[in-house]
Amino acid sequence: MNLTPAVLELNLTEIETRIIRFIREYVEKAGTNGIVLGLSGGVDSSTVAALSSRAIGGDKVLGLLLPEKETLNQGDMEDAILVAKKFNLETQVCDITRALEGFYETIPIFDAGDRLCKGNIKARSRMTVLYYYANKLNRIVCGSSDKSETMMGYFTKWGDVAADISPIMDLYKTQVRRLAEHLGVPRELALKPATPALWPNQLAEGELGIKYEMLDLVLFGLERFMSIEEIAEQLRLDNDLVLKVKKRWLSAEHKRRVLLAPKLGYRTPGQDFRLPRNDY
Amino acid sequence: MKNRIKLALAQISTRRENKEENLGKIEELTTQAKTQGADLAIFPEMCLTGYVVKDQVYELAETVPGPSTRRVATLAKKTGMHIIFGMPALSEKSRATLYNAAVFIGPEGLIGTYHKMYLPTHSVFEEKRYFRPGYQPAAFSTALGNIGLCICYDLFFPEVTRLARLAGAQLLVCISASPAVRRSYFETLAAARALENTAYLAYVNLAGVEDGLQFWGGSRLINPTGDIVAKAKYDEEDLVVCDVDFQEMKAAEPFIPTLRDLRPELYEQLREAAEHI
Repeated sequence: MNLTPAVLELNLTEIETRIIRFIREYVEKAGTNGIVLGLSGGVDSSTVAALSSRAIGGDKVLGLLLPEKETLNQGDMEDAILVAKKFNLETQVCDITRALEGFYETIPIFDAGDRLCKGNIKARSRMTVLYYYANKLNRIVCGSSDKSETMMGYFTKWGDVAADISPIMDLYKTQVRRLAEHLGVPRELALKPATPALWPNQLAEGELGIKYEMLDLVLFGLERFMSIEEIAEQLRLDNDLVLKVKKRWLSAEHKRRVLLAPKLGYRTPGQDFRLPRNDY
Repeated sequence: MKNRIKLALAQISTRRENKEENLGKIEELTTQAKTQGADLAIFPEMCLTGYVVKDQVYELAETVPGPSTRRVATLAKKTGMHIIFGMPALSEKSRATLYNAAVFIGPEGLIGTYHKMYLPTHSVFEEKRYFRPGYQPAAFSTALGNIGLCICYDLFFPEVTRLARLAGAQLLVCISASPAVRRSYFETLAAARALENTAYLAYVNLAGVEDGLQFWGGSRLINPTGDIVAKAKYDEEDLVVCDVDFQEMKAAEPFIPTLRDLRPELYEQLREAAEHI
């Protein structure tokens, strides 16, 4: 297999149709009133907003803007509002700063200098607000995680990845960008650098140590069972960089498959208890 | 045996684990097909229960005959229709073993059952976890002609339809639960199985979404020279009534004499080679 950008090309019209059908069927069968999603002004949530609106109508999709003072970015807020208007979503703004400060004060061992632990509280607080709205309004939470971040474990366990459905989780970031443009998300927004907004000026590519265009090809190679050496040779990368990606890819499984219990009984949750997701 | 029959490609989506609702749909569409002149209504794989039912299959499976097949038999008798549909079948003998089955019922009652021989257990599929494979190809001599059955992944193995054809099948029926990413494989293979056997092939797939799997529909009737005679919509439920003209097989066979040119001695070599992959 030749690892060129062509391997990531998609029939965008077909992908759009399939995702819209997936969202619509789930919302209908679950018997809910619609969708709640977090709107960050980034490409992933903008894409999911557009898809959700097309699937069930913007009047049934509530976009929540969840800023907090440390990572507040006026440009991102404006982008989020722009997307909401373009796809006819309702929006509400919930500033989570005071809730976060409550957490910081409540935890006796809180360490303000540990930005990862602190940042994860932000992601989990956003999740808590999303689920409050979903419960209250009888809606589902629609997640915005993409495949690049999911496979790299570049997300907060029980935080930004927590959702009832994740419509773009099987699309790599570069594919999401193309789908975003196809859906009418402004190009500047579709291509702007990604950030999880856990601390000021955090940039995904800087933390991952590789550009998404290259990362996605490495991940595609790993998905297709290519060896580290093959991937590195084709992409002209150091074996060590590909190995680093692969290790991260493997070690993040605990974040993707979250229930783990010792096998003690006849059928064990998270192991061999296999029930369908269904609308009982 | 008739020279021409009308069959209905009854491409439905299911309500998982709700046999009552799914049987209701089978009744509704069979009746509709009858009003459009159909002799045979074909429904997708596992359409009695839904495809992605995981451990619930142990609760949902029934013997054949059993409550659901008796209800379909009543429908067949009342409408004068032949009906083929998919369900998880509980072995009458062992009362413990399950099969992924295609059940064939006519106005006179149960004609036969086919147990899927090739059970996909890769990617999103976990059929071997639940089902025992079948061992017998199926070709049933009926008032409508000789009809062979296979199920979904069987289509990747030409021996299944070939055995049915050699047992006399003129119409090969493949019921399926194929998710969208595999559409091109089935579109290719369905045509190939018809062409290589110079027989009609009716492919009937599920529509709808189950547990993230999107079934692509696209059911079709293919004639003995591999052309699509009739085709249902992609992805959505549909009912397409179409004609099978068995006379076309006579014209196809001299033009593509695959059965005449079969080389039985190669099958022994194939067997030996397959044992040593």
